[in-house]
Amino acid sequence: MSLPALRRLLRPSLLSYSVLSRSIIPTVATRTALLTTSAVPSSTPPPPPPVSAPSTEPTTLTSSDLNLLPLLRAQPQHYATIHIQGFPFLVTAGDQVTLPFRLKDVTVGDQLRITHVSVLGSRDYTLKGAPWIDEKLFEVRATVIEETSEPMRIKKKKKQRTRRTKTVKSKHFYTVLRVSQIDVLEQ
Amino acid sequence: MQYFKITLIRSGIGMTGRQNKVLQSLGLRKRMSIVYHPVSPEVAGKIMKVKELVTVAETDKLETKKEIQESRRPPKGFVVEKKVLGGSV
Repeated sequence: MSLPALRRLLRPSLLSYSVLSRSIIPTVATRTALLTTSAVPSSTPPPPPPVSAPSTEPTTLTSSDLNLLPLLRAQPQHYATIHIQGFPFLVTAGDQVTLPFRLKDVTVGDQLRITHVSVLGSRDYTLKGAPWIDEKLFEVRATVIEETSEPMRIKKKKKQRTRRTKTVKSKHFYTVLRVSQIDVLEQ
Repeated sequence: MQYFKITLIRSGIGMTGRQNKVLQSLGLRKRMSIVYHPVSPEVAGKIMKVKELVTVAETDKLETKKEIQESRRPPKGFVVEKKVLGGSV
């Protein structure tokens, strides 16, 4: 069978649309960082966000975002959505985060600098990365304060009309972080 | 050298024995598993037997199993700045 013939036969239009319309080759993503304000209400509804395939690189700021960044920086308190091993956490300075797993290669007392932040905001302004925000814009630090475990939980497994009961014990380890600092940096 | 990048999109559960044997010969085990095979009429025929279950792309770069695994791993999200001396528990 020739390759063009195979290609023609495997074209998504000829096969089940719902299943095979997904392409495994990623499209070039349009990277836009959105810096929005909640303080000023707009009369017209905002345009719908552009649909794009997920990118893995941090976004570059547009000039309009750069104008609003000092306003975000001037606000008294900030929050950020940090991502640790893919898990998102919305935190402010002073928050304690109990991760649902144990962080490897890390000991109690270590100071971490968070590199992946998807949302950086304050009361009136929000900076959204697509998917990440440029590291030059923020400084988020956390300390490992505890390596603890959950209380023992026992799961009983029993089937109907059988007397045998299987007992499974779980006691997972968790790492606890305290977010010490969230800063928006000067550009 | 051109390769087919074959991804199993639909599971072989409930499919005929013949289709499952073809998936086995291609090396596709679980859903979303990726396998590389050189472009040839034999491999093309195998793909045609399971074309409803599979997505195919043509590349000239091979990816090892480790590389595919690494590409799927989420980023750590942090960097250890200050390490405390002394061992772990």
